[in-house]
Amino acid sequence: MADLRIKDLVVEYASGQESVRPINELSLNVPAGSLAILLGPSGCGKTTLLSCLGGILRPTAGRIEFGDIDVTALDAGALSAYRRNTVGIVFQAFNLVPSLTALENVMVPLRAARMPTKQARERAEELLARVGLSHRISHRPGDLSGGQQQRVAVARAIALDPPLLIADEPTAHLDYIQVEEVLTLIRELASGERVVVVATHDTRMLPLADNVVELVPHLDADEHEPETVTLAAGDRLFEQGTMGDSIYVVTEGEIEMIRELATGDEGVLKVAGPGDYFGEMGPLFALPRSATARARTDATVVGYTVQGFRELLGTLGSRDLIEHKALHSES
Amino acid sequence: MLIAALRDLQWRKRRFAIAIVGTGLVFAMTLVLTGLANGFRVEATRTVDSLGLDAFLVKSGATGPFLGSAAFAPNVLELPGVSASVPLVYGSATMPDHDSARSVNVFGAPERGPGIPALADGRLPSATDEVVVSNTMGKTIGTTVEIGSLPLRIVGIVDDSTALAGQPNIFLTTAGAQKLLFSGQSLITSVGLQGRPSKSPEGFRIVDRNGAIDDLLRALSGARQAMTLMAGLLWLVAASIVGSMIYMSAMERTRDFAVFKAVGVPTRSILAGLAMQAIIVAVLAAALGGVLSVMLGPLFPMRVDIPRIAFLLLPVVAVTIGVLASVAGLRRAVTVDPARAFGGP
Repeated sequence: MADLRIKDLVVEYASGQESVRPINELSLNVPAGSLAILLGPSGCGKTTLLSCLGGILRPTAGRIEFGDIDVTALDAGALSAYRRNTVGIVFQAFNLVPSLTALENVMVPLRAARMPTKQARERAEELLARVGLSHRISHRPGDLSGGQQQRVAVARAIALDPPLLIADEPTAHLDYIQVEEVLTLIRELASGERVVVVATHDTRMLPLADNVVELVPHLDADEHEPETVTLAAGDRLFEQGTMGDSIYVVTEGEIEMIRELATGDEGVLKVAGPGDYFGEMGPLFALPRSATARARTDATVVGYTVQGFRELLGTLGSRDLIEHKALHSES
Repeated sequence: MLIAALRDLQWRKRRFAIAIVGTGLVFAMTLVLTGLANGFRVEATRTVDSLGLDAFLVKSGATGPFLGSAAFAPNVLELPGVSASVPLVYGSATMPDHDSARSVNVFGAPERGPGIPALADGRLPSATDEVVVSNTMGKTIGTTVEIGSLPLRIVGIVDDSTALAGQPNIFLTTAGAQKLLFSGQSLITSVGLQGRPSKSPEGFRIVDRNGAIDDLLRALSGARQAMTLMAGLLWLVAASIVGSMIYMSAMERTRDFAVFKAVGVPTRSILAGLAMQAIIVAVLAAALGGVLSVMLGPLFPMRVDIPRIAFLLLPVVAVTIGVLASVAGLRRAVTVDPARAFGGP
C-alpha cells in the first residue's frame, strides 16, 4: 500500500521577465485506495502539480513521496522508469496516437515495458474489455466518440496496473452521457490500493472524491464597512500570491506594486498615489494577488469589499473596475 | 515504437509515396549519370580491345595512339619481343547526316590485320575506297557514304563500335585512312604491337592498353567531372527530400512523442522508429531508382553502362543518406518535452 505525500512543494518558473509561482509551499497527503480531486480555475497550478506527480516536471523545492519512492530525488533514467511502472496518466485531450488502433494505443506502455507482443496484445484486449470497448479495438481514434477515446486513454493509463493514476480534466470535451461513463470508471479505479488524483474545475466530480484540495482557497467575502489602514514606509499591505477580498484606495502617500522577476530582483509595476486604487482583480475574480503592495512613503489606504467598491464607482461600476477607470472620472 | 512508426507510414502514405517517387527519380538520375560516365570508359575499352593489340608505339612527345598522337613516317616497324607490328592511322572526320554533319572516328590498319575488329557481317576492306562501319550508323553493306568528302563503299559491319560519347568508329586500310586524313601522305600515328617489346627505340615510347584507353577518354574528362559533380549534387537533393520529410513527420508528431515520453517510452525507441521511416523510404526509393534507371538508359543517345556495383551500393548509400538526413528530425524528437502531453487540444 503506497500513500502519496507532498511536502512544502514549490514550483516557480520564468514567464517573460517575471517569475510565476503556481504552486507555493503545498502540502498534501493522499492515502492508498482513495480519490483526490484538485479543484481550481484555469491557471491555478493543477496541471503543474500533476506534472510533478507524474515525474515530468521537477519542482523548485519540496518533496513528493509515493510509498518509499522519493520522486523529487530520482534521476532522468529512474524518472522514465517511474513514469512507465508507477504512474498512469490520463491526459486532458485524450492524446491517443491517431494512426494507431485502440488496441495498439493501449499496447504502447506495455511494449515500452518490453512485454512480448502477443502478451501485450492479450493484456490490451483485456483492458479494453474492462472499459467496455472490446467491440472497438480495431478502430482508430478518429472513429471513436469522445467518451470512447477517453476510455481508451484510461485503459492505456492502467495498462501496467500502476499504483498511482493521475488524470487531467478527464471530463473536458465530453457530453453529459460520456461524462457519466468516465466518472464511473474513475471511481472504480480508485478502489483497492490505487491512489487516483484528478485535476478538474468540473464541480460535478466532487461527490466522488474522498479528498478535495482547493488549490485556490475559497475566500468567504463577508460584506464589511470600508476599513482604513495606515502604513509606514516599507510596510507591505499584501504579498504576491496570497488571497484577499479588499480593493484599496490611496488617500495619503504612495503605494508601489512590485512583482518578483525571474532574476530574483523586484520590478515596480506601478505607483499608486492619492485618489488611485489597486488590488481589484484578485477579489473580483477570486485570483491570488498578482503583485505585492508596499508603502513607498508613509501612507493611508481605505479597503473596500467588491460590492462596496462597485457602489463607489456608480452605475457602470463593473466595467469601469475591469478597465481600471479613474475614480470620479468625467467620461 | 517501431509499430507506431510503421503505422505512421501507413497513415501518411500519400506523403511518403510522393517522397519515395521523388527520391527514386533522383536516384535514377544519379545511376544514369554514373552509367553515362562509365559508358565513356566502356566505349573506349571496347574500342581498344577490339583492335586486338597489346601496346602501341608512339612518338616520344605524343600522349597516346589516338587523340594524343603525332603523325610520323613508318620507318620503325621491327621491334624485338613482338610477334606482330602494324602501321596504324587514327583521326577524326565528318559525314553528312540528314541536314547536319556527324563526326566519326577513323581507324586505318593493314588489310590482313591486326587492328580491325571482328566483323559482324561482310568482309575486311582491301581498297582505299572501302570501309567497315559500326552498325550504330544504321548503314548497310554496299551503301556508299561520303566521309570527309571522299565516297567510300561499305563492305563490312562491326557491332556497336563507338568512342568519344557515341561517335561511330569506321575502319579503312592504312592507305585508305592516309588518303582520307593526310591527303595520301605516307604517315601513321602509331605502330600497333602484339607481344611485349623489350624496349622502345629512341624517339619513341610504348603506350600500353590502359594508356591507350586513357588517351581515348582524355577529351571527355571535363564531361566526366561535370557528371560526377552533378551526381554529388543529386545525392544532396535526395538527402534533402528524405530529411525534410522526416523533419515534417517529427514536427507533426510532437504531441505523440510527448505522450510516449510521458508514459515512459525510452527516447531511443522513438528515435529508432523515426530512423526506420527514413530507412524504409530510402530503400524503397533506391529500388524504384534502380528500375527507372534501367528503363531510362536506352533513351539516351550515348551508351549508359551502369556498373553492377552501383546497383549494390545504391541501397547502402541511400540508407546512410536517409539516416544522416533525418538527424534534424531526430534532434527534434529528442528535445520534445513530455510536459507538452499535458497541453490542451
